[in-house]
Amino acid sequence: MILRSVRLAALALAALALIAFPQWSEGWESSRYATSILRDILIFAIFASSLNLLVGYAGLPSLGHAAFFGGGAYAAAIAAQRAGTDNLLLSLGAATVVAGILAAVIGFLSVRALGIFFLMLTLAFGQMVFAIAFQATDITGGSNGFAGVRRPELLGMDFNSADALYRLVCVVFIAVVLLLWRVVSSPYGRALVGVRENERRMRALGYDTRTLKFSAFVLAGAVAGIAGGLSAYAFRFVSPNDVAIGASITGFVMVLIGGAGTLAGPIVGAAVVLYIERVLSSSIDFSQTVLGVVFVLFVLLARQGIVGVARGAVHRIAP
Amino acid sequence: MIETRELRRRFGGINALDGVDLSVSEGERRALIGPNGAGKTTLFNVLTGELGATGGQVRLAGSDISALRPWQRARRGLARMYQRNELFDPLPARENVRLAIAASRGAYRPLSSVARADASAADEMLDGVGLAGKGATPARALSHGERRQLELALALARRPRVLLLDEPTAGMSPTETAKIADLIASLDRALTLLIVEHDMDVVFRLADRISVLHEGRVIAEGTPEQIRGDTLVHDVYLGKAVPM
Repeated sequence: MILRSVRLAALALAALALIAFPQWSEGWESSRYATSILRDILIFAIFASSLNLLVGYAGLPSLGHAAFFGGGAYAAAIAAQRAGTDNLLLSLGAATVVAGILAAVIGFLSVRALGIFFLMLTLAFGQMVFAIAFQATDITGGSNGFAGVRRPELLGMDFNSADALYRLVCVVFIAVVLLLWRVVSSPYGRALVGVRENERRMRALGYDTRTLKFSAFVLAGAVAGIAGGLSAYAFRFVSPNDVAIGASITGFVMVLIGGAGTLAGPIVGAAVVLYIERVLSSSIDFSQTVLGVVFVLFVLLARQGIVGVARGAVHRIAP
Repeated sequence: MIETRELRRRFGGINALDGVDLSVSEGERRALIGPNGAGKTTLFNVLTGELGATGGQVRLAGSDISALRPWQRARRGLARMYQRNELFDPLPARENVRLAIAASRGAYRPLSSVARADASAADEMLDGVGLAGKGATPARALSHGERRQLELALALARRPRVLLLDEPTAGMSPTETAKIADLIASLDRALTLLIVEHDMDVVFRLADRISVLHEGRVIAEGTPEQIRGDTLVHDVYLGKAVPM
């Protein structure tokens, strides 16, 4: 009980420290830059965490997850640019709902397939969404995308300044992590793990496994849409790259490097990947190669990812 | 309690089930014997719905369940112990059983907590199959005999009305075989059992009645004494020496 309280207090402190990062890092020379990197890490951590619900918990290796990230980004951008609303709830709500509906359509067809066939189907549907984003110029701006996406406001607060937007991303990130923590520790989350480990046995026990997988797919898609909406505000730009296979793979790499099937894994993975892509790339020319090598090493030597390895180490020291 | 009428299943040109009529009454313990390839496991797969029938009917407690999906049949009270264990290998034994218990309450409670009562019910279930104290052990770390016991616990956890046992003693040592046979013998008499088993000592010990399956048909049915004395059964099955 005491350990639990200490843990909760530590997590609450960490959350506060995260929100207040722009303030306490003010003295640093690169504070603004660091804040923007941290903001992007949090956005991608939401994306990777949603994918982790599928890959890590339900055992569904989706290679088309960027369709929902990008779908959410487009929805938020279109809400502001074409529908003309700057209301945060409407805009982020549209991102969530559009991504959720897209996931319902794709998920309905994909969860019928198993293993490699599921992977190929999600990949194919992801490419279809990419093609639509690329060609439906009237709605999506085609290859030019949307530039200058307006940032939203809520009850008189506007999120135009870098700090305000950062705080918004932080709060949404914390809310999503709490939600996913609830979900994976609930009977529903445990049932998803059961499906991952032995779907046949789950069916024989009376679980409707197809509906379980479908609902997880829709939930993960909707959460990815939230990340997409936030990215539209952050970069003020949405393009077909947001729904492309590259973004799907980046999410997958984050999940695997950080540790699939753990809550912290995708967050750590997002931090590592963005550090290599954004920070390391300014000092060395071959940062993409570094990322590739890191990925290969984890797949070959440590499939449980950084969080899995760290847990194992803690267990050995203090069982 | 469980009944089939003219049940058929074709694989290409082969009639794995060629019109099986079987009727097992409530609380009865029925053994199903027959040579390899007689269709015993196919019959189980069609009963649970994992394989579709190409003809005929499956009835459970008087109602036709032929069109139901496997998980719906499980909810109607049909459970199965697999011949090759179907467990949640990396998960602790307790969580294996807890998943089975929680199935009866439905899985769509994404924001609620896991009921503590389910964990203690799982421990009781483990005690019941002789796995007391093994709750925290991952299923994959159990011995073969213990894994069979856990497999039985999973099948029993939902308090089924009909339990299909597919070679419960497969691959077991004589001691382990005796243990699992004792367990099955001690099950609630109200539970209807359908047992596929090659070990004739176990069959004659457990069964109230025996059905003999051969080339997808029931060729004989009766009490253990009647089956022992049946010359046709001897020809197709019992009389044949076990190949060395």
